Amino acid sequence: MTSSTTSSALRTQPPALGPESPVAWPQRTVRTLSNGLQVVLVESRNFPKISAQLYFRSGNAVVAHSAPGLAEMTATVVRLGTATRPSRLIEEDLRRMGASLGTQAGADSSAISATGLAEFSSGILELMADLARHASFPEDEFERERRQRLEELRIDRTTPGFLASERFRKVLFGAHPYAVVAPTEEQIAAFTRDQLAEFYRKHYVPAESVLVVVGDFSADAMLAEIEKIFGAWNAPKPDVPAFPAPPQQSGRRVYLVHMPGTVQTQVLLGNLSITRRDPDWFSLVLANSIFGGAFHSRLVINIREQKGYTYSPHSGVNALRRQGYFTVRAAVRNDVVAATLTEMFYEMDRMRSLPVTAEELDSARSYITGVFSLGVATQDGLLGQLSTVYLDQLPEGYLENYRDKIRALTAADVLAAARRHFDSANAQIVIVGDRAQVGEQAALFGPVETFDAQGARLA
Amino acid sequence: MNAPAKLLHIPVEHTTLANGLRVVASPDRSAPFVTVGVYYQIGFRLEPRGRSGFAHLFEHMMFQGSENAGKMEHIRLINSSGGTLNGTTNYDITNYFESVPSNALERVLWLEADRMRALKVDDENLRNQRDVVKEEVRVNVMNQPYGGFPWLDLPPVAFRNWPNAHNFYGDFADLDAATLADVQTFFHTYYAPNNAVLLMLGDFEPAEGFALAKQYFENIPPQPKLPLADVSEPAQTEERTGAVDEKLGPLPAIAIGYTLPPRESPDWYVAGILDRVLHGGRAGRVFRKLVLDEQIAVDVSSTADLLDTNGPTQMVTSIYHKPEFTSEGTIAIFDEVIEEIQQKGIALDELDPVKVKFRSDFYSSLEGGMGYSMPRFGLMHYLACFTLFDGDPHRVNTILDGFLAVTPEQVQAFARKYLVARNRAVVVRRPVAPGGAR
Repeated sequence: MTSSTTSSALRTQPPALGPESPVAWPQRTVRTLSNGLQVVLVESRNFPKISAQLYFRSGNAVVAHSAPGLAEMTATVVRLGTATRPSRLIEEDLRRMGASLGTQAGADSSAISATGLAEFSSGILELMADLARHASFPEDEFERERRQRLEELRIDRTTPGFLASERFRKVLFGAHPYAVVAPTEEQIAAFTRDQLAEFYRKHYVPAESVLVVVGDFSADAMLAEIEKIFGAWNAPKPDVPAFPAPPQQSGRRVYLVHMPGTVQTQVLLGNLSITRRDPDWFSLVLANSIFGGAFHSRLVINIREQKGYTYSPHSGVNALRRQGYFTVRAAVRNDVVAATLTEMFYEMDRMRSLPVTAEELDSARSYITGVFSLGVATQDGLLGQLSTVYLDQLPEGYLENYRDKIRALTAADVLAAARRHFDSANAQIVIVGDRAQVGEQAALFGPVETFDAQGARLA
Repeated sequence: MNAPAKLLHIPVEHTTLANGLRVVASPDRSAPFVTVGVYYQIGFRLEPRGRSGFAHLFEHMMFQGSENAGKMEHIRLINSSGGTLNGTTNYDITNYFESVPSNALERVLWLEADRMRALKVDDENLRNQRDVVKEEVRVNVMNQPYGGFPWLDLPPVAFRNWPNAHNFYGDFADLDAATLADVQTFFHTYYAPNNAVLLMLGDFEPAEGFALAKQYFENIPPQPKLPLADVSEPAQTEERTGAVDEKLGPLPAIAIGYTLPPRESPDWYVAGILDRVLHGGRAGRVFRKLVLDEQIAVDVSSTADLLDTNGPTQMVTSIYHKPEFTSEGTIAIFDEVIEEIQQKGIALDELDPVKVKFRSDFYSSLEGGMGYSMPRFGLMHYLACFTLFDGDPHRVNTILDGFLAVTPEQVQAFARKYLVARNRAVVVRRPVAPGGAR
């Protein structure tokens, strides 16, 4: 909190910042139970709630070659029945405890998460444990969800953002499991109840899992409770297959997903990149922030605030556990697709050619550290940050040292990161739009392959 | 280790400056951040006729430059202080807000005061943001399956008074017609301290916050003649229906909206609880019937903008159903759910858990921070609404009582009185795209 140093109410210059307050990451209780389950607890007592996430380090990637999307389908059905609770009872138990439950899977992990009133902590954790250990995969519930998933996929195939991501990941990752964003209709139709149960038996195990709980409790009592609820659970560690390497790209290529009659075009380009464990991670995050990761960034100023091509331009570094990727995206008017790509490459190349200014560097360092630290201020924020650290097995002190690591970076570090990780010459470009309107513009940037929304190649 | 039930108490202090600006403080020293918001009591309901979408376009203009902070300066100053910012346009309010490390509180107040005092924008800014807003409408509505469903579909069918019934995102012809003079007129009419509330939450001393608020805001002149608007609706006598083409998505979708009783009336609380009985997640009666038991629908969701609206609003059920069922047949099954509650009412063993969940969800909304980029955004939002609409930010600590006191008899009586055809509107989205054919 700053004290005012001026008496003039009509000052024309912004007030200087007051002295900075230190950000204190809360004390954590971290224990690994004898069955291998790692427990991470943080007290956060502003609201009488708890939020808990139970993660398993197996997701869609481990089954991408046998049954793409199986981890996700398994997670969906996990909540729909246990040995002692039919689906309806699970939902009623949740409501009685003021709780919400989610079960989901991504490329790298599967998760059971719940949030609810602190007065029902034990009941909420017991329900999570029941789902983690005794899910029964009722056939009728599974068949209903299979049909729902088919319908969702059909909607996804009419969603430009989904189609862009799907094609982009295919192109970037090739034979690597991260290439798969969603199963096909045929693959969904081929799932069996036994496959789901098998995935569950193999991968929902304590040896490769993390339980993060944040909220209004005493950590000692909570730990004792968790040992009681989760302690007797035992299962062997799953074997995880080795993944083939993603392809090396050489030269820019354009992948056009044709949606007839669309009134706007999605542009998505980028390249393979690094994970949070890479020494370049911090300098890349900073470079990305100056390039297009913040409202006050070069890309946003250029194609939104100066040229009005788009509402939501954005660049990002996406850190999956084994391999990251860099993306630049915008939804633009049909007649400025080529102009947008030109500006995107111009800004990427500028980041690679010239050091950023001292003012940009300073501003971005403050922005990145400030926004990262905002995580301490809410239960959701703490849960998100802690989950990243423990699920990805990041070094001890990752949260505490983040600010100092960012603040130590120089313009030379940013330049080096941009040169290594903004691979403008070999960027892969996905365009989702009407080829009659944007095809010629797309062809200015490399050889074009065209697909329809179902993924079939068009002549 | 189940702890005893704890009722939440939020610290709230408030004052009113000489120019009519209300100032609300809610300190919380647990993390070194502050969230600051300015809420103006003007939303898309009251935008000028012939200028649909103007309130939202205007919100964009508030980021284009003020007297002492030119274009991008506001954004640069917040981002470089380590903070995030945004603004949204709603039915009855437009808000601007920032979360920053607490050493930037004074800077944020200076910025918000600067743009409350004088907007400094030109034709180029307006052209630029008109283009940006059109792409926003395209990405969120025109180029998305079910874009604008149901929030843009229902009002023109449900309501008759233009403020409640027009296209809130804006017809492009109206956006094109907007002039710089419109921008300045709108600013001088509505963006006045006596039509706003300033909120500060987080790591600061309220006395210091109030002193800074006074220093930066108190000499901004008030608007002596705030317009009085009539947003009332004529009485509805029969069901209203409409249809909209779905150009991308493959499934038919149905929106059913029942008009709700006025804010803070006794029935209004019942609406909040009944909405959760019908729609509270997978245990809600409508989801259970349409998705789980009959397996007609793929998804069911609802909105009931109770706390943050101050004019005609609806409880809306959105249903996406499988193509082999008709929309008429689906509505008939939905009606069975409504009839059941009208005829048989509700037992306490269903109502009590709904209230527990309601309380829990209320706490979650208070804590909710737009992901986690805006801590206490939800609390700020409700404090603003209680201040502007009810004149009392302390309602945040008592509002739950009204909802938790609802009885089974009230629920049944409400269903009989309000969940009737002559109080509802139904809109069907019909797929027309080739992608919709199988």
